Order: sequence, then structure tokens, then C-alpha cells
Amino acid sequence: MRTIGKLRALRAVTFLAALLTVQTIEAGEGAARREPEWFGPKPAARPSRVVSLAPSLTDTVVALGLSSRLVGVTRHDVAPQVKDLPRVGGFLDPSPEAVLALRPDLVLWLADSGAWPAVHRIAELGVPVLALPVVGVADVLRTARLVGQALGEPAAGEALSADVERAERRAASLPRRRALLVIGRYPLVVAGPGSYPDALLRLAGGDNVVRGDKPYPVYPLERAVADDPELVIDAAVNERSAGLSGLEAIPAVKAGRVVSLPDDRVLRPGPQLGQALAELLAAVHPEAKAP
Amino acid sequence: MNRRGRLLLALALGAGALAGAFALAALLGPNPASLAAALAGVEPDRAILFGLRLPRAFLGALVGAALAASGVALQALLRNPLADPFVLGVSGGAALGGSLVLAASGVLGSAAGLGALAASGSAVALGAAAGAAAATALVFALGRIGGRLVPQAALLVGVVFNAFAAGVVTLLKVMVPPEQAARMLYWLTGAFGYASAGALSAAAALVALALAALVALSGQLNLLALGDEEASSLGVEVARARGAVFLAASLATGAAVALAGMVGFVGLIVPHFLRRAFGPDHRLLVPAAALFGAAFLLVADLAARLAFVVFGSEPPVGALTALAGGPFFLWLLRRSERS
Repeated sequence: MRTIGKLRALRAVTFLAALLTVQTIEAGEGAARREPEWFGPKPAARPSRVVSLAPSLTDTVVALGLSSRLVGVTRHDVAPQVKDLPRVGGFLDPSPEAVLALRPDLVLWLADSGAWPAVHRIAELGVPVLALPVVGVADVLRTARLVGQALGEPAAGEALSADVERAERRAASLPRRRALLVIGRYPLVVAGPGSYPDALLRLAGGDNVVRGDKPYPVYPLERAVADDPELVIDAAVNERSAGLSGLEAIPAVKAGRVVSLPDDRVLRPGPQLGQALAELLAAVHPEAKAP
Repeated sequence: MNRRGRLLLALALGAGALAGAFALAALLGPNPASLAAALAGVEPDRAILFGLRLPRAFLGALVGAALAASGVALQALLRNPLADPFVLGVSGGAALGGSLVLAASGVLGSAAGLGALAASGSAVALGAAAGAAAATALVFALGRIGGRLVPQAALLVGVVFNAFAAGVVTLLKVMVPPEQAARMLYWLTGAFGYASAGALSAAAALVALALAALVALSGQLNLLALGDEEASSLGVEVARARGAVFLAASLATGAAVALAGMVGFVGLIVPHFLRRAFGPDHRLLVPAAALFGAAFLLVADLAARLAFVVFGSEPPVGALTALAGGPFFLWLLRRSERS
């Protein structure tokens, strides 16, 4: 008798769960987004009230010279052009109410599943949302192009791509150098294959000595010594005070073949890609003068 | 006043409190929005009131009702006012269950279909409900000494299980890819999000089912609160009644955790004040706790939303209930020691 009751309860729960599953999959939750995507109603041809839900997207709009179209940004934004704009919450926790109160005609979202329910609701309530996954160099270029198009200024979005092509052409005529790109000092973290700085390094004429499948591995110093890079590029800008003392076992460091980058642009996929490439090119080929 | 009169009074007051809290939750927020404008269809007032605040208030009321009613039921079973889904480890079990599903979705990620299936909100909800049920079963199985349920032992098992579950969740966060860890953290903080209408209505059905069962069992809860032998001699099939209460309370808690993550102490604070105001009759306490619990959590979430004006970000409502609930728990502990 009791067993039957339990079985029946179990069956009811299973049924409800199945019901739930079908509904949420239809709602498009879950799966990681790799491609840019539009949500909500069709956007205007030239949106004039834009809310950006990520600092890098804000920077993209600013870099395109279109910051006057922005009406709201996140609390993480520091660009001087947007310092007086209302804040709509954070990158992971945007407030739909604050967004809607600004009556935006376009919301730019750096696709990330954490804030998906809030962003999905904003789109449902009648605001066009452009979701942009930004992981690699290609994403940064595509983002600039798409944001330019979405704002009705397609020409502005093409400029970044031209920067990259120029850098590629310059690097092609120079010898390639085997480099180790240091991201963090304690512990030693380096740029691995598949990371954004790895891609930039390749464009700038460098070959990453790091192998494996982790984008940002914690790297044993012994491995770094055994890799014997021609050049060490130090991008750990927040750990400058530590000096290079921990890395002296690497032959390139001992021989003085080490370049410290002036800022962390190479770590942040965004519209400073052009400057980041120029910095890396200068680091890998100090002999080549800028054109 | 007779029993019926008291019941009607409690339910009327509870319904009034819930209606008032609902109105406040809909009308107040970090941005001004007018009801008249919303009714006239003016944007963004309409979208803010009907598209954001009302569904969120519904979610909050659902979670509050589920947690407070589960608290009353668990307190009756354990004959201890300190029992609460959060303290007893039921919420911890739900969190562990949901996190396991999220972590599995990361591992299965390469097999695209399966990963997406496991990452969907409802699979997480199912994991949470299963985790809640497993934790309840564990607490009540290990809280037994010589075949008899010893409330203090059960509470201790719950506390230890909570710590264990927290450890495993931390381990999972290290093991899964960073984006999956961010999702887990976001879900676990106990924030009211914006669940889809489908997930909301399914959870509502689950909570309604569990609450109906608890109300139906409330007469037996009165007898169970006297102790197993006493209840048994008064004609209650103890094992069976207890099993049914477990199942209903875990279902309600699992649904609540799935919707809003870990929101603690609602099941402790609300029942305590109701017992002081209306006495120990569970036939009254269970439905009243559902109503007042819903109202309580709506007000707590309103406070969290209004905090946006100050912080530029919404603190999770779970942080606010813990802020009030932690000291309250200690006060209750000291008080019960003295008496």
C-alpha cells in the first residue's frame, strides 16, 4: 500500500519534471551562445537610445565615435565619455527595471548565460537586444562590425578590421619569434593556445611556446625553462612590483630578452585591439620601426 | 474565541498582509512607475509593473509560502522550533542536487544535446527537488536513535550535512569550466531572477500540490507534535503520515530552491511569530504560514530591490533574510534553553 503511494508520487513528480524540461528547452535556455543573435522586436534602422550591458561593448560604441547614442551603461564602466550616464546594474546582474525605465531602443549584451533570464525578459517586454559572444580576435572584429551596423553606421565598424589586416601584413615580412607570454606571476600563469593574447601574439609575428589545451594554464617554472623561448613578454601589469626575480631561471630572462607591456590591453578583447597589436608587434620585433 | 473564529481571523489577516505586500511590491521599486499610466498602456510603466514586478512578486510569494509552510511542518515533526528547511539541510541538499546537474551539464557540454538539456532551468529544478528529498530522508534516517526519532540528533545531522553539501558545491565550482561556475554562483546566492512563465507555472503547480497536502495533513501534525508513541496511541499511522509530510515539505523546498536558490530562515521567523499570535494548532498554522510567509518574503525582496538605489546593484534577498534570521535563530536558541 505504502509502496504504491510512493510510486504514484514518484510518477507525478517525473511527469511534472518532464513538462518543465520541454518548456524551458523551447524557451532557449541553457545552451552556450557562440554566434551573435537578435532577440525581441525588430530594431530601428538608426537607434538613438542605446543601453550597453558590458564595459567592452561600451568601449566599442565609444571607439566607433557613437557615444552620444548611449543612454545607460553598467556600474563597471569607467570610460570618461559615459561617466555621467545612468547605471543599470552590473555585467552579471543587470536590473531590467532600470533598463526599461530608460526607454531604450537597443540593448547591447555580451552574451553570457548568467544574466540570460533578465536579458530575455527585457527582450520579451519589447526592447531589441543584440547578443554578442566575444572570446577571440575574430569576435572583436565581428562585434565592431555588428555594432556599427546595428547603430546604422556600418563604415565605422570596418576600421578595426583594417587595423588588424595592416598588422598582419607587417608581421608577414618579419621573422617569427618563439615567445612566452606571462599573464600572472604568483602563481605563474601564461597565455595558452586558444586564448585571446595567444591569437594576438600570432598576428604580431610570434609563436607561442606553450602547448596543451588550457587557455590560461598555471605553468610550472621548470616547463618554462625547458621551453627555452627566444623572448619573454610580461603582461602581468598588476604584479609589476614583484619584478622579474621569480623568472630568472628562464634563459631568455637571464639574457635580458624580456619585454614588459605598458598596460593590459592584450588581455582584454575589445576595441583597443589595434593598440594591443601595435604593443605586441613592438615587443616581438623591437628592430622594426612603426610605419 | 473558538477555533473556527481564530482560523478565520488568521486567514483574513494573512490574506490582508499578502494583498498589502503584493500591492507594495508592484507599486514600489528603484524607478518611478505609475499604476494609472500602466493601466492606460503607457510604456515603460506598463512593462515595469506588469512585465517585471508582478511576475517577480508572484515568484517571491510562491517561495515564501513554500518555505514557511515547510518550516511549520518540519518543526512539528521534530518537535523543535529551530527546525527550518535551511537549518535542517534540506535547502543544502537542494543546492547540491541543482549544482550537480549544472556541473554535469558542463561535463556533458561536448555532447551538445545532453549538455544543453542538463543546463536547462528545469533539469536544475528537478535536481534540486531530488536533492531536497534525499537530504530530508538522510536527516530523518540518521536522526533516529534506537528506532526513535531524536529531534536534537536530526538537527545536528542537518547542520553537518549542510557543511558537507557546501564543501561538495565548492569542489564542483573548482572542477567545472569558469562560465559554469559563474552560473552556479549566481543561482546559489538566493536571488530572485526572472523565471520563464513556463517554469513559474510548473513550480506553482508543485508548490500548490505540496501545500494542499500539508494542509490536509495538518490535523495529524497536531498529534505527531506530541511524540511518536502518543500519536500512534491516538490512531495516527506514524510512519506513513511522517513520510507524506516529508515528501510534501521536500517538494515545496525543492521548488523554492530551484526558483530562488538558497533563501534561509523564512521557515523559522514566520512560524515563530504565528505560534505566538495564534497558538500551536497546526490546522491554523500551516495555511497561515503560507500566507504570512509569502507576505514576509515579498517585503524582504522589496527591500532588496530598493537597495539598488543605494548600491547600484541588488543584494540577493537571501542575504537580507539571513541578516535578520541569523541573530533571530540565536535568540530563539537562548530563549528555548532558559525555558
